[in-house]
Amino acid sequence: MGALSPMKTFSIMACMIVLPICGHGQSARQIFEQRTARLIEVAAGENEKSPYIVAAKVHTGRDLPSAFVLLDSLTNDRAMGGMFYSYTIIATYLYTRDVLPDSLHRKIRQAYRDRTMYRGDTENHWVTYYTGLYLAAQTWPGEDPETWFNGKSSEENFKEAEEWLRLWMTTSATIGQGEFDSPTYITVFLTPMTVLYEFAKDPVMKKRAQMMLDLLFADFAAEHLKGNYGGGHSRDYPEDIKNPLAAPSTMWAWTYFGEPNLEQWNEARYRPRNQGGWEPVFGALSSYRLPEIIYNIATDRSTPYVHTETKRVRNIIRFGKEKNPPAYKYTYVTGDYVLGSLHGGILQPIQQHTWDVTYASDKPFNTIFTLHPYYSGKELAMFFPEEQKFLSDEVDRYHKVYTNPNKLNSSSPYEQTFQHKNTLIVLYNIEKGVMQPHIDGFFPKNLDERVIDPSGWLFCRAGNTYVAMFPLKPGEWIEEEVNWRWRSSELKNGVIVEVGSAAEDQSFDEFKSQVKKTSVDVKDFNRMTVRYRNRHGDWLGFTFGGARLLNGKAVDFKSYKFFGGPFLQSERNSGVITLRHGNRSRILDFNKIEIREPQ
Amino acid sequence: MLRSRLFLAVVIPFLLCDATIAQETIYMSVLSSRKHRLNVSDNPLVGLFVSTDAGATWHHRGWREYVRTFYGEAASDGTVWLACGNGVMRSTDGGTRWRITTGWQITEALKVSADPKSPSTVYAATAYGIFKTTNNGESWEQSNIGLALPFTADVLVDRSNSSHVLAATEEGLYASNDGGRVWKLSGLKGKGVRTMAQDPLDPRILMACTEEDGVFRSDDGGKRWKQKSRSLRHQTVYAIAFDPKQSSRVYIGTHDGGVYFTNDKGEHWEQRIQGMRNLVVHSLCVLPSNPNVVFAGTLNGGLYRSVDGGLNWEFNSQEEGQVWGLSVR
Repeated sequence: MGALSPMKTFSIMACMIVLPICGHGQSARQIFEQRTARLIEVAAGENEKSPYIVAAKVHTGRDLPSAFVLLDSLTNDRAMGGMFYSYTIIATYLYTRDVLPDSLHRKIRQAYRDRTMYRGDTENHWVTYYTGLYLAAQTWPGEDPETWFNGKSSEENFKEAEEWLRLWMTTSATIGQGEFDSPTYITVFLTPMTVLYEFAKDPVMKKRAQMMLDLLFADFAAEHLKGNYGGGHSRDYPEDIKNPLAAPSTMWAWTYFGEPNLEQWNEARYRPRNQGGWEPVFGALSSYRLPEIIYNIATDRSTPYVHTETKRVRNIIRFGKEKNPPAYKYTYVTGDYVLGSLHGGILQPIQQHTWDVTYASDKPFNTIFTLHPYYSGKELAMFFPEEQKFLSDEVDRYHKVYTNPNKLNSSSPYEQTFQHKNTLIVLYNIEKGVMQPHIDGFFPKNLDERVIDPSGWLFCRAGNTYVAMFPLKPGEWIEEEVNWRWRSSELKNGVIVEVGSAAEDQSFDEFKSQVKKTSVDVKDFNRMTVRYRNRHGDWLGFTFGGARLLNGKAVDFKSYKFFGGPFLQSERNSGVITLRHGNRSRILDFNKIEIREPQ
Repeated sequence: MLRSRLFLAVVIPFLLCDATIAQETIYMSVLSSRKHRLNVSDNPLVGLFVSTDAGATWHHRGWREYVRTFYGEAASDGTVWLACGNGVMRSTDGGTRWRITTGWQITEALKVSADPKSPSTVYAATAYGIFKTTNNGESWEQSNIGLALPFTADVLVDRSNSSHVLAATEEGLYASNDGGRVWKLSGLKGKGVRTMAQDPLDPRILMACTEEDGVFRSDDGGKRWKQKSRSLRHQTVYAIAFDPKQSSRVYIGTHDGGVYFTNDKGEHWEQRIQGMRNLVVHSLCVLPSNPNVVFAGTLNGGLYRSVDGGLNWEFNSQEEGQVWGLSVR
């Protein structure tokens, strides 16, 4: 073997500097390229009537005839329409048009004339709708209103879509998303943005899409642990709440963060609820590459950290004077677990997930949480224009569990939290007469240990993670298929939660011992006040609807930044988000539509 | 003898129905349907349906898929307007081709109301307030000045004075005397007003219905309002319809109470639900050509029709549909 040339030596050294070395001696970029190739290859072998499958087949050149048949059926099947169709069909077209027969060119164009593209009523609906409209209008410019489903010309559609996308991006970068941090719905933000990035001809829109992808991934990365999306979530399906790695976000983590080390489609226990979950195929086909710094933020768990965020409540249309009040998040991240919470109250209807501890595990159902399974027509009418006495049943049609007393996702005006690092207090102050007058806790059956201690503490161990929970009022244990449900029907109630790990507490016995030395003061609980000294000696005082005191000092949520933590920093409304890792930084400046990487 | 009775039994109702066939067109907006599933079905179960034969047959018009069609009506020039989740839509050819006249700024449009005297002026009541066009939908302007909270379920243009417009908001009834430029609270402060109607014979008489507080009536063009709900057992009222020929006769649609009827301007109400299997009535209309023919749109129970002034109802169409809006021209 001859000596390396100076150029080769330089190249290798440059790679060593630029690309972080991961497990098995591979760089992040190498892992990404392998995984995207694998994803496309597997998807290309599927036969679902899915735009992602069509795009993968055409990309690999595998079985083009069946790809065309699938695409043809997508254009013929009038059952398909609406906002998701709006962007996936144009994306598939743009990824495949060079090899498509003329008939499919015509049919796809015709779809934007004949199909109803419902714009929807949620943030992800609008993002997908307008991304599709933007790209379709860009693809077929100069065409008359009669050739479009909505009776608007190409130019009108393009202008409208561009305006709204710009508004959404600015809003997301200044006061946050309303559908924030959702393991379920992140996929319908990431996927259209990868498509927009790939195909927007306007370099400014392309840059905006790139910055939105950076922001969405960075936002995820800061609360990511081994493929899990930790922390509180605005919206999540129950299946994804109780089994975090089954969420659509897992596939994106697998593709871009290199974790978890399992292929979701091959794992029955993590099989996505929506069959396939192939949306990341569009990401894999795009030329967007995750900046190294975001990869590092997602995977570096060498030091525990606190990460705070201010997001926004979904548009309130009734029963409130403020359209988008802030939603405050607090997340504590370690290499073993993530304990995260939203500040409480109604921040999103239907699918809110206020708090949990999610831990790294090779077992499914790796999470513990409590909730008040609240529902009311008035809650829904805050966000939807239909009649409040009719809405609960209507929402049940789509989400199945809204009025179910056993549901695992819910916002509640009767739930509030106060978190400091790995200690959390959750208070419930449920009014008499409210539907579902109980609180529930989810504890997976596959915990390694679950000990109900005479002290009143419940201790759980899952691998290296230790969880202690102190219910302020008694409850009962109900055995279910994959979990124990802790249920209490006390209207004024609460739980104190401490989380630890082998790294922090040496052993489970030591953790238990330290937790039992803490102090719970509930003498003012009739006024919904709790004082608690945690195992680290910090005093937390919390009154429902009142003050949160940390060692006697009031915690003011208004002091929360847009992002606050070691990895992401931003002032609310600034439009400038700084990503940091080690001595590197990356600044997303949405005012100038500029990315800077000062050294 | 028996045969002749049978003949009369069959033919007379038919003749009665047939007599209702007139020039008017009924517009039925079906928001959704228990049988409809978003993105997985493609039947014209939702959207706009029209009938020109007093409800004997219905024809779907326009978009086949779900766009949350809350309400549709025809203006005096024949333009058909739809209030939808996607915004405000317009058709000038009876519903074959449509244009969404609004942009991203307008969404969750719940009601449209065209000025009877100037049909190119149209108001849209939306979840984000009131919008107005004076050029047939080519452009829209927001018109929320003076509203305490923007959510508006209905707008009514006074047919005797186009500058006088009323708005049903979540915080009460608002009125404008300058064509919607500025709004002032007119009454029912703090009450969630759902819809309004103007007496077909005396334009000074108005009625409004509310989410929790029954029905109100004004005899002076909206300056003062009196509650007219004493004999109502169901106070959540979604719909009002005057008898076009005898305006002391009024029908209302309630939540869980079906249809109520008054013969004395709301002093006394009588529940009329014989034959109804769904009592959440969200829309009503009475045929001008034959006021005994009344339609009641329910939420998830489809459309009912009565040919005897509401005494008896028969299921008409849209099984399990949400008939959110009805109008007639």
